[in-house]
Amino acid sequence: MTASLATSGFDWVCQLVRRESAIVLAPGKEYLVEARLMPLARQLGLSGVAELVERVRARPEPAITRGIVEALTTNETSWFRDGDPFTALTGTVVPALQAARRPGEPISIWSAACSSGQEAYTIAMLLADSLPSATTRVRITATDLSRAMVDRTRAGRFSQLEVNRGLPAPMLVRHFSRVGAEWEISPALRQMVTASELNLAGPLPRLGPFDVVYLRNVLIYFDPPTKREVLRKVRQVMRPDGWLFLGAAETTLGVDDSWERVPCGRGSAYRPMKGK
Amino acid sequence: MRALVIDDSRAMRRIVASILEGFGYETRPAGHGREALDVLEEGWVPDLACIDWNMPVMDGLQFVSAVRAVPAWRQVTLMMVTTESEHGQIVKALAAGAHEYVIKPFTADAIGDKLSLLGLMPVPA
Amino acid sequence: MSAPITALLDGETVTAVAGEVWSALVGEGELLLPGLGPVAPAVDGPSAWVTVTGPWDGVVVLTCGASGTADLTRSVLQLDDDEQPTAEDVDDVLRELANILGGNVKSLLPGPSALGLPETGPAPLRAEDEDTCRVSASWRGHDLAITIQGASEAPAHHTTEVPK
Repeated sequence: MTASLATSGFDWVCQLVRRESAIVLAPGKEYLVEARLMPLARQLGLSGVAELVERVRARPEPAITRGIVEALTTNETSWFRDGDPFTALTGTVVPALQAARRPGEPISIWSAACSSGQEAYTIAMLLADSLPSATTRVRITATDLSRAMVDRTRAGRFSQLEVNRGLPAPMLVRHFSRVGAEWEISPALRQMVTASELNLAGPLPRLGPFDVVYLRNVLIYFDPPTKREVLRKVRQVMRPDGWLFLGAAETTLGVDDSWERVPCGRGSAYRPMKGK
Repeated sequence: MRALVIDDSRAMRRIVASILEGFGYETRPAGHGREALDVLEEGWVPDLACIDWNMPVMDGLQFVSAVRAVPAWRQVTLMMVTTESEHGQIVKALAAGAHEYVIKPFTADAIGDKLSLLGLMPVPA
Repeated sequence: MSAPITALLDGETVTAVAGEVWSALVGEGELLLPGLGPVAPAVDGPSAWVTVTGPWDGVVVLTCGASGTADLTRSVLQLDDDEQPTAEDVDDVLRELANILGGNVKSLLPGPSALGLPETGPAPLRAEDEDTCRVSASWRGHDLAITIQGASEAPAHHTTEVPK
């Protein structure tokens, strides 16, 4: 075996990927980095991944940097990812909100780690298809740590491979048009989404109040005190009768006891506990 | 679960079949629409058909229309898997009765995502 | 006056399309490196192509250096490293790659167009036309070329109608 990736090299790759994509590679994923980057190293005539990382660190080459990020992050985002929180939105949450709010009162939704925008636009499409006047009534705030991801969300453009990932064909034809080799979301839906940079671990700017928050597959990357802090801040920007959706492997239980876990569709949602 | 894989390219039939078999499907190949209709008429009615568009003898769109005309084959889910990728072509396939549409090139995950959407992902035993 | 067809079919777009085809079909992490192959049409292996007909007529040709055909076929068909693919397998893989490239190129054109069935044989096919767009690339050290041949002007007529 060729020289394996030193810890400093692995850390550098992790930082690069996190900066460019907001995807966090957990320690211990060295094997993944080796396996995914080996073809790129071979392409460039290098003996291994360690040499590849050394070369880019010494002399940054945008094409290779992009190749590294793409090799490590492709296929991480799809439409309707873990479908339950989306079926719950139209099946349970929106009817409950319609009953509780005045007719036409705005509905605010936060996609708190929006990546390239699939989650925010999935929500926009679902509501546009099921709620009259959704395009004017619903406001979706999409935030991400990475500026590159925020720019991508704003653009609302997706490659062929991206629209292939779990986007139902009837929704594709209803809400997207072809622009060159890419697909672009309709202007009406793009107007529902406002994207900006935000670090959940830092102090939150003025936000909300939100009726629904999607905070999925983010908490898993934080330590318990940070998790608790993030959940506390999220609760502060939510309406008292709001709904929080976490990733399938995440929970507030044992982290922050000011949330009530409620069955919602086929999965669960979390709601602020009264009096906490 | 059973899937019929219809494509004039042996390479593509092999790729699609191996992805579906990885999810637990039993598959059968067909090189064009007419050959696929023969399989159905013989009584092998699948849960899913993955259908290329451009093929000799009978193309994918003709096959979709032919299957939709037979009430006994209603339960077959029809998924186009094709390089035809214009907006209008997708509309046309859906109007003819296709349920889903995967654009080539695709990854195994893309097929998996579509099967989940369609409720056709076999539950691991 | 019509715009040049290269306004629609430029090297960068074709490279991006080919990159997606490669990572999806040839294998995850497999990169097609553009611009590293020979610039002149010197790729010495077999070609596969599809025709595009409609407001703009042309051909999309994939040529694979002779040294790379077996490797490429093994990758697409997921064969073992020591397995020797048959000539039929090689042709079939090249045809399907050309088919997918052609379909994606077709989608960049305005108006209704139709795609022919893919064929294999010696290139070039349409010596009377200039290459509209040529992408030379390298994959695992093997030369590859994607050429689009056809009229140099983009179709003036623009319609969103779908071909029958």
